[in-house]
Amino acid sequence: MIVTYNWLKEFVDFDLSPEELADLLTMIGLEVEGISSIGGGMDEVVVALVEEKQQHPNADKLSLCQVNNGREVISVVCGAQNFKAGDKVALAQVGAVLPGDFRIKRSKIRGSESCGMLCSEKELGLADESAGIIVLSQDLPLGVPLFEALGTKDTIFEIGLTPNRADCLSVIGIAREVAAKLGKDLVSPEYSVPEEGPSIEEKASVRVQDNDLCPRYTARYVSGCTIGPSPAWMVSRLNAVGIRSINNVVDITNYVLMEYGHPLHAFDHSLLAGGAIIVRRADEGEMFQTLDGQERILTSADLTIRDAEKVVALAGIMGGENSEIRDTTTDILIESACFAPTAIRRTSKRLGMHTESSHRFERGADISVLLRALDRAASLMAELAGGKVAAGRIDVYHDPVQPRCIQVRLDRIAQILGISLSCEEVSAIFRNLQFSVEPDEPGIVRVTVPTFRVDIEREIDLIEEVARLNGYEKIPATMPMVHTFSELPSRHQMLEKRLRDLLISQGLSEVISYSFMHPDSFGKILLGDEDPRRDVVAILNPLTEEQSVMRTTLLPGLLETTARNISYRLMSPHLFEMRRVYLSAAGEDLPDEPVYAAGVLCGARDPEGWHRKREVVDFFDVKGIVENILDSFGVSCASFEARDIDTFYHPGKSCIVLCDKEIIGSLGELHPTVQENYGIELPVYYFELNFEKLVSFSREPASVVAPPRFPDTFRDIAMLIGEEIETGTILDCIRGNRIKEMENVELFDLYTGEGIPVGQKSIAVRIRYRSQERTLTDEEVNRLHQRVLDNLLKNVNVAIR
Amino acid sequence: MKQKLETLLQDALAELAHVCTEESLHELRVKYLGKKGLVTSVMKGLGALPPEERPSIGQMVNVVKDRLEEEVGSVLNTIRTSRKEEKLRGERLDITLPGRRRPMGTKHPITLVTEEIVEIFAGLGFQVAEGPEIEKDYYNFEALNIPKDHPARDMQDTFFVSDSIVLRTHTSPVQIRTMLKQAPPVRIIAPGTVYRCDSDATHSPMFHQVEGLMVDKGITFSDLKGILTSFVNQCFGSGVGVRLRPSFFPFTEPSAEVDIACVICKGKGCRVCKNTGWLEILGSGMVDPEVFRHVSYDSEVYTGFAFGMGIERIAMLKYGISDMRLLFENDLRFLKQF
Repeated sequence: MIVTYNWLKEFVDFDLSPEELADLLTMIGLEVEGISSIGGGMDEVVVALVEEKQQHPNADKLSLCQVNNGREVISVVCGAQNFKAGDKVALAQVGAVLPGDFRIKRSKIRGSESCGMLCSEKELGLADESAGIIVLSQDLPLGVPLFEALGTKDTIFEIGLTPNRADCLSVIGIAREVAAKLGKDLVSPEYSVPEEGPSIEEKASVRVQDNDLCPRYTARYVSGCTIGPSPAWMVSRLNAVGIRSINNVVDITNYVLMEYGHPLHAFDHSLLAGGAIIVRRADEGEMFQTLDGQERILTSADLTIRDAEKVVALAGIMGGENSEIRDTTTDILIESACFAPTAIRRTSKRLGMHTESSHRFERGADISVLLRALDRAASLMAELAGGKVAAGRIDVYHDPVQPRCIQVRLDRIAQILGISLSCEEVSAIFRNLQFSVEPDEPGIVRVTVPTFRVDIEREIDLIEEVARLNGYEKIPATMPMVHTFSELPSRHQMLEKRLRDLLISQGLSEVISYSFMHPDSFGKILLGDEDPRRDVVAILNPLTEEQSVMRTTLLPGLLETTARNISYRLMSPHLFEMRRVYLSAAGEDLPDEPVYAAGVLCGARDPEGWHRKREVVDFFDVKGIVENILDSFGVSCASFEARDIDTFYHPGKSCIVLCDKEIIGSLGELHPTVQENYGIELPVYYFELNFEKLVSFSREPASVVAPPRFPDTFRDIAMLIGEEIETGTILDCIRGNRIKEMENVELFDLYTGEGIPVGQKSIAVRIRYRSQERTLTDEEVNRLHQRVLDNLLKNVNVAIR
Repeated sequence: MKQKLETLLQDALAELAHVCTEESLHELRVKYLGKKGLVTSVMKGLGALPPEERPSIGQMVNVVKDRLEEEVGSVLNTIRTSRKEEKLRGERLDITLPGRRRPMGTKHPITLVTEEIVEIFAGLGFQVAEGPEIEKDYYNFEALNIPKDHPARDMQDTFFVSDSIVLRTHTSPVQIRTMLKQAPPVRIIAPGTVYRCDSDATHSPMFHQVEGLMVDKGITFSDLKGILTSFVNQCFGSGVGVRLRPSFFPFTEPSAEVDIACVICKGKGCRVCKNTGWLEILGSGMVDPEVFRHVSYDSEVYTGFAFGMGIERIAMLKYGISDMRLLFENDLRFLKQF
């Protein structure tokens, strides 16, 4: 909503600077989002008198003028021809800044000095085009800033209205708020309607068939209008609030719209068949061409205004081409009506037509003001278009709205706001807001809500008005009385933080990608056609195809981020993301949204340095991270198995993570095709863990054992095994002996190559023995160790070296 | 004899004062205390003395011997210490070489700000609550007093999954879910991801909010002001100006926008605050009785407040980020700065 300082001042007498007024508006909930000024900063453009005008000695098309600016006479070179000596003109003096940041400087033009510029309307931002300079009226005072002299200096306020404040979609509406806050009277516009000739009933009729959608319809008939331009004051006012002038009659409806906030429509009466207005729902599939030239297909939910034969307007939204005001129009039927918000909103949404009119009707129009708006328009048409207003008006109003009576309890005000106000204070606030206040029991204020406040229906709405007008700044800041004890953060929340902290300590940086993904990504990560992750939640109205479905895996986002960073020459991205994925859940209304933690390692393990050669990451880096996670979460039952591998992994360099036979995640090198699909040249290592499952298997240490008091003894086993045998088998076999003195089994060497038979590998394992009760003797350790060796030889095909 | 011993001691001490290597100290020791040393030879000459003098001279020899041993020991200690120090002084590292570190990763700024906000509110007694991002229209709109066909729906451009399921446009549905699950008192904070179909330098189709809700007997607008002032002071620094001004949200009444004095220009007026000196950082208000009706709380008995803020907005203010898209491009050159 745009209003100007001067226009507001017409309705309320305030003594505030534009800045103070903006602050006042903002603090009563009418947020001023922008202030600009008309003629502001242009005080160097003054009214001046051309005393002499001569041909420029060195240029045919220029003239050299002596101009009186009220203090002195100066020389100005001018290119325009449409003026003569003795004319008053607009002089931009040296130092003036015109629109477009055009700075006026002293200059020499073809050898003659010029100390300013005579301006055109275009140069002053008053018109889009202009021929020649402005020649001003002789009665303007010399030397006074132009905009001050013209009285058009003004300040424009752009107000961001909240959707509840339909009453403020007008200059009067906003003035009413200013008056209420300042405790001043609201001045109503003064006008009279000079009725003459026959009564309107002889010229027009109105029948409202669907009065559920049109509670009130009023009209006036004005004949003998001459369509022409509007007066300058009206054009500049409309321009200031962003409305282009069209012609006097259309401008009047727009002017009254801005003034009162009530949308009007003017029909060319000669184009209304039978002079009749019928208000009813459209026929299903009916066609109608609106003012903007668009052909609209209507449904039976759309309310139409029709004459005896055809649709002439889409009620409350837009008129039709078939009855609009033309240059030849003389007789006019003015409509001032009220339409049901929901119906207007549905139709305007469906047809994508958002107009000044629909904007107001869908928020709720004032059913009482429409007569005043109607009369104001008729009066202006008589005054500015020379029209004759027929006697009387049509007013179809089946079921007059009864003003709402609501009460507010003073103790309820205190309960909500935390401040106590007296009956007098509260009553004064409502009187200032033009509510009528009636006496009631002590402690209760009963008010009648004016019809323009469609947003006020309940006691709480009244309390809001009290808070708003009394001022939020008058409410003190207190701390609530506490009836609960705060609890520790939830386990889920703590573990989430723990995991993030762990991952950054491992050198991975957190990324946040959009929760959306491109449906093509599944192909790029080679996901099988039957994979349940292809069962996505799709968005009906996505912004782009890349963001058209909700992700079921974090992998594509991480790969895109990896590729993008590599393209920035950051060759070794180590990244993680810990966010939700969205999995369709059969039989449920809403999908599952488990949190997953996933990470990517690519390129060098650590940055190269003076102390370190470049080493590239491999499978065991990513496995190490997962092992650290499992350790830090106290997941003791986890195991890694090379089965049920996702298709996006390298089949030989990947595994799943199991807990009690349940898959909680996976890790490994990505399939080279996946890596290539994202344009990445180096192998990419990836892990993902279902965070929810991780949490469910996580245990805090229940009890700890004291550090051992007796020394340990270790024995090493070096052995040759077939290359195809997994090291884990050997370690499991050793641990499987269940020797309680066996404290720890550690793989400390792995070797293939020279000296080792082809197809075999050499591994070395160190076993640490210790008793909690005494120092073990060599013989005891030997005996235990022999058991381990026997078992190995018996169960696995190894050669002990 | 006595005289001789005295001189011997004095000579030895004088020599000792000039000893500065372990070798010369050794020589000195041999010279005086060795098997054929000067002090030892006095001991050996003891037999030639009259028997009555032997004990006293013998004792004196022992005193001199002990004294010398002690002095030699102490000089040896000094020599060794200074030699060690000298050796260490030679072992100089170029301490300007960079340390041997495994680089740390960084948390995303959205995570950092979320953690900070949650921590501040945890200190004020608020517990974290969560809810689904793919949400029923009912929780996202209806129960929050935003009926179908209401202009307030235009305040939020919505992504639809179906007629009745949307991507939540705010974290406010968590209010409803929490109140349906538990009886008052309620004191929750709900950080989360939200979606609106809008994309430019200041809007992202996905962004983050933190919702807060406190319901109990006796909670007032004045308490809302207190809690939010405390939050602002902890998040942006104590003494930062706060103002509440009237606004509209369908699920609160009275509603308030909360502004803080511009952190860039300190309230003087600049481009970031559009010359107003104030920055809007959150929306808030007293829970609307209609919302309480949807969750079957008695609004005559219980009152409460709710607030919600955009995490991106706060992150952008805190870190001076001007384009919201930077937050989701995941450029490591950006992320590594946090």
